[in-house]
Amino acid sequence: MKDRIKEIIDYLKKKKVDYADIRHQKTGLEDIKVKNGNVEALSRNEDQGFGIRVIQNGAWGFAASSITSADEMQRVADNAIEIAQASALAKKENVRLTPTEIHQDRYQSQYKIDPFGVPIDKKLGLLLDACAVLQKDPKIKVAESSMNFFKTDKIFASTEGTFIEQSMLESGGGIMATAVDGSEVQRRSFPSSFRGDYASRGYEFVEELKLVENAEKTREEAIELLSAPPLPEMETTIIIAGNQLALQVHESCGHPTELDRVLGTEISLAGGSFMTIDKLNQLKYGSDKVTIVADATIPGGLGSFGYDDEGVKAQRAYLVKNGLFVGYQTSRETAAVLKQQSNGTMRAEGWNRIPLIRMTNINLEPGEWELEDLIKDTQDGFFLDTNKSWSIDDKRLNFQFGVEAVWEIKNGKLGKMYKNGVYTGITPQFWNGCDAVCNRKHWRIWGLPNCGKGEPMQTMHVAHGTSPARFRNVKVGVSK
Amino acid sequence: MIGKDKIMTLLKSVLGKSKADLTEAVYIGGESGLTRFANSTIHQNVSERNSRVYFRTALGKKIGVAATNSFIKEDLEKALANSVEIAKNQRENPDFPGLPQKQDYPIVNTYFEKTAKFSPIQRAQEAKNIFEKAQKHNLTVAGSFSTGYSEIGVLNSQGVECYQPLTSTYVNLVVMGENSSGYSDQLTRNVDDLKTDELTQTAIQKCLDSKNPQVVEPGEYPVILEPSAVAALVEWMNYIGFGCKSFQEGTSFLANRIGKKIMGDNVTMYDNGPDQSAIAFPFDFEGVPKQKVMLVEKGIAKGVVYDSISAHKESKNSTGHALTPDSSDGGLALNLFIEGGDSSLDKMIKSADKAILITRFHYINGLLDTTNALLTGMTRDGTFWVEDGKIKHGIKNLRFTESMLKAFSNAKQISKERKIVNSWWGDVGCIVAPAMMIDNFKFTGKTEF
Repeated sequence: MKDRIKEIIDYLKKKKVDYADIRHQKTGLEDIKVKNGNVEALSRNEDQGFGIRVIQNGAWGFAASSITSADEMQRVADNAIEIAQASALAKKENVRLTPTEIHQDRYQSQYKIDPFGVPIDKKLGLLLDACAVLQKDPKIKVAESSMNFFKTDKIFASTEGTFIEQSMLESGGGIMATAVDGSEVQRRSFPSSFRGDYASRGYEFVEELKLVENAEKTREEAIELLSAPPLPEMETTIIIAGNQLALQVHESCGHPTELDRVLGTEISLAGGSFMTIDKLNQLKYGSDKVTIVADATIPGGLGSFGYDDEGVKAQRAYLVKNGLFVGYQTSRETAAVLKQQSNGTMRAEGWNRIPLIRMTNINLEPGEWELEDLIKDTQDGFFLDTNKSWSIDDKRLNFQFGVEAVWEIKNGKLGKMYKNGVYTGITPQFWNGCDAVCNRKHWRIWGLPNCGKGEPMQTMHVAHGTSPARFRNVKVGVSK
Repeated sequence: MIGKDKIMTLLKSVLGKSKADLTEAVYIGGESGLTRFANSTIHQNVSERNSRVYFRTALGKKIGVAATNSFIKEDLEKALANSVEIAKNQRENPDFPGLPQKQDYPIVNTYFEKTAKFSPIQRAQEAKNIFEKAQKHNLTVAGSFSTGYSEIGVLNSQGVECYQPLTSTYVNLVVMGENSSGYSDQLTRNVDDLKTDELTQTAIQKCLDSKNPQVVEPGEYPVILEPSAVAALVEWMNYIGFGCKSFQEGTSFLANRIGKKIMGDNVTMYDNGPDQSAIAFPFDFEGVPKQKVMLVEKGIAKGVVYDSISAHKESKNSTGHALTPDSSDGGLALNLFIEGGDSSLDKMIKSADKAILITRFHYINGLLDTTNALLTGMTRDGTFWVEDGKIKHGIKNLRFTESMLKAFSNAKQISKERKIVNSWWGDVGCIVAPAMMIDNFKFTGKTEF
């Protein structure tokens, strides 16, 4: 395949394109899901193909195919050129790419145990054991446990001379208990909702989650929620757990700092951003406790890699520093608008999609508080745990999140449980109300394997490092 | 196009080598192109040729699934063997009723040659025309224009054999002004049916009419929902409530309510795959013919849609709503219809003392309280204040948080005219929705634009 890719790059150079790159990608997936003691899903999926991106006449063209014969690769190259020529019919300006270093390199994500080599029986055994613990009380109507594994091999080559091979392995798993009593339905998940937590690691990550050991607490909390009162409507102080804060960072900082959104290229589907270029280095996004970075270099994060899908090396970049909005996630094309270099966030879901600016590991940097001390320091408020629902406007200002479980905080102590927890706000007002972030001991990276963006839709694997944090004057309980 | 004969011949030859008790192959393949634009320039323009074959095999009641996107015989045989290997290591699924038997299918025309062959240059020229029309008003356009064809085939060792070629095209436009925007879109199988001039004019007018939007405080208001807004609500209701899985698990708003009144007398919702007035499709991904299923009839909860495994749990037959073999989501309604009434959008506006007119919603989420179909989301791209029977001005966008059981119990007027609205499930389905006027719709928040 490497030789064939080099031949196509030579072919594209002979065609005198302004720029071209080719990305070949091979992916293996394994999906295992157990529900109420039955194995509901057990499948393996293999996928491979290549995509060619071309700039010709100052405009983009992209074509892709799952057939990797030499003839098909040449047809796809010609097709990409034709499409670029079509794009040029309705362009305003020529596409400009900011320069980048040329690399010939290989990247391999780190892992101890290849999950594809672990016997299916062993994986099923773990999931069935966890499910059995969840099912021990008949109030649990649905008990679920699941694992997912992804193996990706990529080759990227460009007409500028870059040639990069990358191999990545990702693993994830989780459990969920749904308790039902008449029309009352409540659920608890571990370690996070929507099939758990994910990392760019091997099977050892799933073992470390200790799904069986955490099933009893998950089950009992789901049952307790059935008789818990709903969170009342008020303005109050909240401490948000790391697994929910990950999605808060995702929706209210990750997406609005994608420079392609800011420049309007996602308007028709996902929307734009309130963090416009005139606000760069001006907007007080949050309090001085709030520092958020885009960091693709952290080992093990679901948004970690060696190089992005434009061949730009993985980087760490500040988005918000001590509350001030200082940077965007950029690509070679969008960085040129700011006269900057790309900070390497262009990724594609697969061979058949163009790369877009996608979150890497977008992390709220840890603060100084012990969680215990933070709760002790809070006279009246609530502790909110684990995402249940999410919604935000198309410029990322007005958000509303639902959580699975809420605990009252009274005089510095956790108290009774509440259900149907919802909180809402306007992004910069919310983050300016942050007066405490917990320390590195409580900080971990949460993997989200389902971030949607683009047309055709692309689902990307991203991550967020967070620790629990406290927010003042937040509206809660507005669901009914 | 690969064509029915070549696809079925190869799949039959591979299935012939299966060592499983039962074997099923599902083929999905095709070629598509999408031209995407923003700021009145084409910024993404893509083309894709791809296929996928799923094998589902059963050893007794032990099921294995494997898939590949290669259509080379050796790779297909490898995927099939992989599926059998998985089945060997599986646990028995007591609800597995076996694979469907040989079926007859309704004949529906879902393929239009001109759509399949529509070129990137043709799409670019249409885009350029749209940009020029907006430029006359100093407005810019974002959106996309896609065309393409697919082939879908299902074959199993019990005699099921079905194949359907299909085309689809979709245009969506967001016309942008200084402080307003306007939306329009159209989904059809036949590119000749596209009305891009009309779409452009609609989006431009909405953008112009909603400029300098005023603030309306959250609260309960009568709303006039255009078909895209109605469809977005029903799309989420489908996800949380019209499928057999959520019904059987008790999380659906239809669970324990069959035969009970849950919406107004004027509200009827059903699924009907072969209905050629919309984006028809004749069979599901198990090769079972799609049946018409009443979900809500004159406000009364009637039923849900099933795949074969979930149906077997209730000693029922599949309604022809299975998803691809790798899915564990059970059946899902992919060809939804909301019955029309006797009103019109114009009549609704003229009859309103005070109301909010909504073009479409953004980022709806329905997981807050699924048994009450409690949804939240934002308005976008054309939200208006209506007073004394006229559209007065644009308003800044609002967040709603509302039970759909309450909302559809308060539907006062429903339009006769309905629109085919695009949905999550691409070219095998859609939502056919009317406009609706609904009383006491609850808004719980506002935003700054």
